[in-house]
Amino acid sequence: MKRKFAWLLSLGLVLSMFLAACSGGGDDTSDKPADEGSDQAAEGGEQVLNLINGDTIPSMDPSLATDEYGFQFLGATMEGLYRLDENAQPVEGIAVDHKVSEDGLTWTFELREDAKWENGDPVTANDFVYAWQRAVNPDTGSEYGPYMMGGVIKNATAVNEGKAELDELGVKAEDDYTLVVELEHPTPYFHSLTTFGTFLPLNQKFVEEQGDKFATSTETLLSNGPFKLDNWTSTSNEWDLVKNDTYWDADTVKVEKLHHQVVKDPKTAVALYEEGTVDRAGLSSDLVDQYSTHEDYAVTPETSVFYLKLNQTRNEALANVNIRKAISLAFDKQALVDEILNNGSIVANGLVPKDFVTIPGTEDDFRDVSGDLAAYNAEEAKKFWEKGLEELGTDSVELEFLGGDTETSKVMNEYLANQLQTNLPGLKVTLKQVPFEQRLDLDTNMDYDMQFAGWGPDYLDPYTFLSLWITDGGNNKMGYSNAKYDELLNEAATTLAQDNEARYQNFLEAEKILFEDAAIAPVYQSAMAQLVSPKIQGVYVNPFGATYEYKWASVGSAE
Amino acid sequence: MTRYILRRLWYMFITLFIIATVSFFLMKMLPGSPLNAEDKLSESQKQIVLEKYGLNDPVPVQYAKYMGGLVKGDLGISFAFDNTPVTDILVDRIGPSALLGFQALVVGTLLGILLGLTASIFRNGPLDYTSTTIAVLGTSIPSFVFAGLLQYVFAVKLGLLPVALWGEFKHTILPTIALAIHPMATAARFTRTEMVEVLHSNYITTARAKGVTESGIIWKHGLRNALIPLVTVIGPMAVSLMTGSMVIEQIFAIPGIGEQFVTSVMVNDYPTIMGTTLMFAFLFVAIILVIDLLYGLIDPRIRLAGGSK
Amino acid sequence: MDNKNQNNIPKELFKPLVRKEDTSEKISSPSRTFWQDARRTLFSNKMAMFSIFILVAIILLSIFAPMFNEYGNDDQDLSRAKLPPRVPVLENVSWLGFDGTLSGKYTGNNVEAATAKAIARYDNNEDFIDIKVVSEGDGSRNSAEVKATYHIYDAKGLEDTYFWIGTDTLGRDQWTRLWLGTRVSLIIAFVAAAIDLLIGVSYGGISGFYGGRVDNILQRIVEVLVGIPNLVIILLMMLVLQPGIVSIVIALTITGWTGMARIVRGEILKVKSQEFVLAARTLGTPNGTIIRKHLIPNISGIIIINTMFTIPGAIFFEAFLSFIGLGIVPPDASLGSLIDIGFDNMSLYPYMLVFPAILISVIMIAFNIVGDGLRDAFDPKMHK
Repeated sequence: MKRKFAWLLSLGLVLSMFLAACSGGGDDTSDKPADEGSDQAAEGGEQVLNLINGDTIPSMDPSLATDEYGFQFLGATMEGLYRLDENAQPVEGIAVDHKVSEDGLTWTFELREDAKWENGDPVTANDFVYAWQRAVNPDTGSEYGPYMMGGVIKNATAVNEGKAELDELGVKAEDDYTLVVELEHPTPYFHSLTTFGTFLPLNQKFVEEQGDKFATSTETLLSNGPFKLDNWTSTSNEWDLVKNDTYWDADTVKVEKLHHQVVKDPKTAVALYEEGTVDRAGLSSDLVDQYSTHEDYAVTPETSVFYLKLNQTRNEALANVNIRKAISLAFDKQALVDEILNNGSIVANGLVPKDFVTIPGTEDDFRDVSGDLAAYNAEEAKKFWEKGLEELGTDSVELEFLGGDTETSKVMNEYLANQLQTNLPGLKVTLKQVPFEQRLDLDTNMDYDMQFAGWGPDYLDPYTFLSLWITDGGNNKMGYSNAKYDELLNEAATTLAQDNEARYQNFLEAEKILFEDAAIAPVYQSAMAQLVSPKIQGVYVNPFGATYEYKWASVGSAE
Repeated sequence: MTRYILRRLWYMFITLFIIATVSFFLMKMLPGSPLNAEDKLSESQKQIVLEKYGLNDPVPVQYAKYMGGLVKGDLGISFAFDNTPVTDILVDRIGPSALLGFQALVVGTLLGILLGLTASIFRNGPLDYTSTTIAVLGTSIPSFVFAGLLQYVFAVKLGLLPVALWGEFKHTILPTIALAIHPMATAARFTRTEMVEVLHSNYITTARAKGVTESGIIWKHGLRNALIPLVTVIGPMAVSLMTGSMVIEQIFAIPGIGEQFVTSVMVNDYPTIMGTTLMFAFLFVAIILVIDLLYGLIDPRIRLAGGSK
Repeated sequence: MDNKNQNNIPKELFKPLVRKEDTSEKISSPSRTFWQDARRTLFSNKMAMFSIFILVAIILLSIFAPMFNEYGNDDQDLSRAKLPPRVPVLENVSWLGFDGTLSGKYTGNNVEAATAKAIARYDNNEDFIDIKVVSEGDGSRNSAEVKATYHIYDAKGLEDTYFWIGTDTLGRDQWTRLWLGTRVSLIIAFVAAAIDLLIGVSYGGISGFYGGRVDNILQRIVEVLVGIPNLVIILLMMLVLQPGIVSIVIALTITGWTGMARIVRGEILKVKSQEFVLAARTLGTPNGTIIRKHLIPNISGIIIINTMFTIPGAIFFEAFLSFIGLGIVPPDASLGSLIDIGFDNMSLYPYMLVFPAILISVIMIAFNIVGDGLRDAFDPKMHK
């Protein structure tokens, strides 16, 4: 027995040492936050921000970038012809001014002469020519190149398909500081397009020196913008944006360093915010309840619109316009944005978002003029439904609902499915929830009945939304086709391109047709709920391209 | 013995070859492509991109190319990270996972052995019940529930430790505990069962009769024999621990291989999925081999002459 | 002296031995078969018996509990979303947490500011909020603290409504969904375990019994299967098949049987080389009879034990799948998907996580204890 006691004692000792080690570690860490806190207070004066990024940066190559984060950091580290300001209006970047020819087809940009690359080379018109040619060069394998430039810049599509030589692309350097761009059709929003990541310049010598390694790490990047990316490789989970002293407008840039860290889980992000480790954290809908009374709670409206795509090719029920109309009216969107999303998102009853563009001449919001084209109305929906069923000669319909698999979208999918089934008797909805990439695949193959999808604008013009549903368009993928609709949009892009007021009339009419046909069932326009430290000042949120604009940002005091 | 090892290595090679082949064709069956914005492109524009990635070749050609690259240690280029070789991603991500796994393995097995030993010595006493309860809870409570609980209590409520992220030692404490609970429970159960058996065996009775001290019996005769079978359990456990726990890495935002794997699956980054799969498979098969060989070395009762094991 | 005395025992003290049956060879305890012994050991294991009782109760509840109230699996109503638990009678015992109120602590520079925050948080329904001041504060930042209790059932005009364990984000009754989810999880686990058993025993049996080349090939196949991460195979299954219970079962079993196969093979190898099998073989018993009469009975104990551990394994793996979003299809629920949802609402609506998390833990613990109990029961050394 005695020995057992000795054994117990030794075990106790070992355990207590272990525990002591643990608690020792605990003490260390509990001291730490206090230190960090004071560091931050000091950092407040030093113009440093700690931010969260939702994922790693997959690509920093302007020709290859396709995603939010790529464009975000390209926008911060590089300067294109123009840059979006606080009100999402293009202001001067490398270009100081531009002239448009009478026919609207030739744009001549006058470039500033004091802009430099990080390595001291001047930024010239040739850098733009090289970058744009590279973006449509089939050997580059760019996706956004042909998407953004095709049909806009002369010969872009032909070059991409190998039917024309690279130098036939409609972009020329008249001299080092004059860039001449020829367009396929007059494009009144072209200068807003040039703020987009794909249109950024590239230093040919540097890119070719780096070869395959270009834009895979800090060493293989060359900045000409307000910041440069530091401590980064393509798989990094942490990196810094550091002020670029060689930037032509470096005097305007106040922030010295923006530290970024990858955190995917919003709960973790919020906990880090509360801990004081980061200065901004996004809130998922389930966290809004808890933080909506927090003093740092902020809602930023966005211009992405979410809707149900109704595939007319797979299920004959959806080929019936009354069935589609019934579906588009049969769910309570107000309850959805209030109870489920709960983050400032608003009900969408059309396609073009609110606060995105205004009608030329009157300056009224496009959405207000176009009005509610598909508002919730259960009774109307039921009428259309019964009419549709009668035409089909059936009393029950089974539809597949393809949705996303994030937390919020799962709740929404269930809600929408339940609403449709409740309000439309005889309808059975089966849910299919898949990750984003798989949804895109199913979309491309038109392998779905109803799909929950969304669209964010790529430039400041309703065409970015309305062109989605042109017959056989790249994003149509639901078999929608209306000759009148196609014609209206074609006119807007070609013959009416010079006449902005007429273009908008066409857009208004096209949107009306879209909803007369009940091609899609709009759900909501998104907003972003966040906790933002009051010390972050002058950060603008863009409706397209780089989400955040840090050029004019500064760090105030924490209180 | 040399012949035996050579034969085992040959089997290992065959196994890996089959795994590579099977997973290659599995990947080909799955939908998905390196395109990130396929919804915005026309068919011909897509073909141009696919051409660049060599995905327009016939499947057998792609297979031959992939296997050829594999021999040279080239796992291809990631779909998700532009121009980044898969090997770079794996090398980058294995570090945190291996560190956490190692810490969890050491802490878990040591504590587990202590627990199991205590339980077997004080069999049917309150200490036995306590340690058995801990072991049962450890094997039963799902790791994500446990990890969430740890995070909530120690980081969110008490603020003793960082909630998440990676970098310093303090960041590894909570995930290590969350990871260690399972090996601890397993080791505790195993040690207890084996010790109970060993302490009842004849040679222990003989040792007692000879007047060997109680601690001598426990440490020298008992534990050493009881721990031999534990080696078979620890091996596969070590692989699964060091290759990263998907859930725990996600909850604590650790840039490890498990987290990377789940992300790759979600974004259809097939070269990375393939690379990770092959690395898992290689580690697993290699560890099994090492354990089989080690087993023969530690336990003289087992001789591998027949090779039927 | 003594010796003398002994020699001097009087003769009359000796009596002739009455002939009676020899008792030295008699077996004092009743003869029991192995199975009877096992049962006795199991029945005397209180923990295991208690666990069996709990499991039976849970199975019965998963069948009948959803009928205890009028709510269905997918009865959504956003106006009653996220209601806390409320149980008649128990609602009067406030610390139990079944009183149907939400409460939280709110801070502000002074009591008014903190109170305003609390009221804003709870739908601005001032009439139904009790405010208790925790600290008055001195005007500095967040120095004042109040505790607010929101009588949400009353505020929503649901005075006579009781959701025993609350409602979820879509206003569905958690009680109904919890037990339906348990049912789904148990079905998946039992079916998966049964299939594992079937395939694993036959595969391991064949491999171990025939040995040699057959064994070698079969073992290589197992090695390949074990070498590919489950998630890859499961993902493929989820894409090829329609998601749902069936594909989860297939995904679980497609690699799950390898564990059973390995154990059965090992046991067969052990038993096969023992004398009684050798004897049967020498006597010309056909293979089938040897397997049926000699091998299976000898390894059935280990098969049962292993199955007992497969079931909680399957429950856990299903939960894991649902947790990373590859599991059950809504509106159906499983314990895993309920925990997944609960996790997202953990800090504000802990009841959404607590009940499914406790239930899954209890189920897993009970199965493990029963498994341990069976292991002891089938171990002859433990028989008394």
